[in-house]
Amino acid sequence: MALARRADSLELSVAERAEAARGATRGRLRRWLPVIIGLAMAVIMVVVAAAAPWIAPLSPSAQFADAVLKSPGSVERHLLGTDEFGRDVLSRIIWGARVSLEVGLASVAFAFVLGVPLGIVAGVRRGRVETLVMRCSDMLMAFPTLLLALIIVTALGGSLTNEMLAIGVALTPNFVRLARSLALTIREQDYILAARALGAGQLRVMARHVFPNALYALVVVGTLYIATAIRTEAGLSFLGLGIPPPTPSWGNILSEGRQYIKCCPWITTFSGLAIMVAVLAFNLVGDALRDLLDPRLKGE
Amino acid sequence: MINYVLRRVLVAVPMLLGAMSIVFFAMRVLPGDPCVAMMGDQATTEALADCTKNLGLNRPLAVQYVDYLWRSLQFDFGNSLRQGYPVSEYISRMFPHTLVLVLAAAVVAALVGIPIGIFSALNRRNPLIDYPLRIFALLGLSMPVFWLGILLLIVFSLRLDLFPLIGGGDLDGAMAMIRSGEVFTQPRDFLAAVGDVLHHLTLPALALGFTLAATVSRLSRSAMLEVISQDYIRTARAKGQRERLVVYKHALRNMMVPLLTIIGIFVAIALTGTVLTETVFTRPGLGKMLVDAIGARDYPLAQGAITVFTMIIIVVNLVVDMLYAVVDPRITYR
Repeated sequence: MALARRADSLELSVAERAEAARGATRGRLRRWLPVIIGLAMAVIMVVVAAAAPWIAPLSPSAQFADAVLKSPGSVERHLLGTDEFGRDVLSRIIWGARVSLEVGLASVAFAFVLGVPLGIVAGVRRGRVETLVMRCSDMLMAFPTLLLALIIVTALGGSLTNEMLAIGVALTPNFVRLARSLALTIREQDYILAARALGAGQLRVMARHVFPNALYALVVVGTLYIATAIRTEAGLSFLGLGIPPPTPSWGNILSEGRQYIKCCPWITTFSGLAIMVAVLAFNLVGDALRDLLDPRLKGE
Repeated sequence: MINYVLRRVLVAVPMLLGAMSIVFFAMRVLPGDPCVAMMGDQATTEALADCTKNLGLNRPLAVQYVDYLWRSLQFDFGNSLRQGYPVSEYISRMFPHTLVLVLAAAVVAALVGIPIGIFSALNRRNPLIDYPLRIFALLGLSMPVFWLGILLLIVFSLRLDLFPLIGGGDLDGAMAMIRSGEVFTQPRDFLAAVGDVLHHLTLPALALGFTLAATVSRLSRSAMLEVISQDYIRTARAKGQRERLVVYKHALRNMMVPLLTIIGIFVAIALTGTVLTETVFTRPGLGKMLVDAIGARDYPLAQGAITVFTMIIIVVNLVVDMLYAVVDPRITYR
């Protein structure tokens, strides 16, 4: 009897443990699912953008006089319809992905390279350097991203490089602030003290100890800024201040299609959808990663 | 307290000056001579020289800079190159349109965002409620306002013909009636003007409000989550208070304090949003004015618009900082 009872409880505990393990797996899956979905969306988009010459059914600038403003599917050749010049909307959106992702990734990389070292130096050195760096970054922070990018792009003129530069500069203060706040916590850690005791100089401490420990959080938040950058680029192009036509970008396809929303809403609908999916993908990844990996960053 | 206020003002002033300097120098490297832009390529050299002199562009840059700062602080931004009349007049005409839009969008955002945020926080253990709400917030955050605006226009203006496609309504008329006292003598006309304004305002406010609601709902969700884990909530529950009362009386009030701090961020996002929203809905306002001014190379106008935008953001943040200290007495006035 006693033996049987023991077996029972043993079985029970084994079953419980298996159930708990399954629950944990489920929980883990549930938590990682948004990251996986977002990453998959982002990867697909990068692949589409990179392989645009092979994937796009037609040239983005080819004009078909026999198919002007055709609705999706009405001409077999044009899956998502055509615009006012008879250009294939699908091909233009596929090529437009290049501009959006290039600007999104390059401007965040620019802001990272410029902002992170400044932020780390400010956080580690403190004093006057910190005051100077932070006041400058506060000044830039007074402008919303789109407004600052708009000012810079207006001053420099609309082109791919200038757009990257403008959005990159507009995003820089965000990285400065984050890097500084991370550096402020890291510099108080024991391993920094240990490194200093071993004779490491300021530069070495910053490059070998502070930066690697801040990197993780910076990359997570960087993903979120890719979404901001893509949205800002679309906004600039929509306002006619981005890449000049005929080069397709999602924002200028949408802007050009605006005049035809009465007859041909598909031009604006699909290009806008592309913007939203791209922004959503990076928001999803960044958001989920942040909640999952670094609770310190909640609300950043 | 006085010290705290002074310190805040002292921080805001150099920020404002710095931001204005950025605007000034960015506008000075603009491609193209404003006089050529204004008078065309055929203008004679004398006429161009005359124009440059009239605009004060022949003075040293430092003099122009100090002059710009001094005049801006008195809201004197010079004359519009295209229209001829003072920029400040133009701005004061456009400002009410933008203000109305931001306020209406804020109402939409608060009405949609705050309840969703609270509901999502209170039901965070129930994935069937929390997840769809969080997805909604993420969608709102990812949806460009100009796209949502176009979709609303396609459905409600073009297909259903419920709302106008362009314009801002008779706001000037309504305001003139308030100023002249006609509100009381001709209330019917006034209501008609207000109705017209609201009719034009609905779609833009919904578009901008919805995208802002996403931000508001996320912030109120995290504010609620923070409040709900406080000791006084546990005390309220422990003394047997009903859950509704705990939420409405204790949690909600305290949640408003962290929510207050986001008004600053909110105004910044909303003002950026107006640039895009006003362009999509072809509505008069500061944002549309700025975009048009940039397109027309009318740089006193563009400079004036950006300066006003920046001033609003910095001043609102300053006021919020102070309000925060008033609302939450625990904040030390360092």
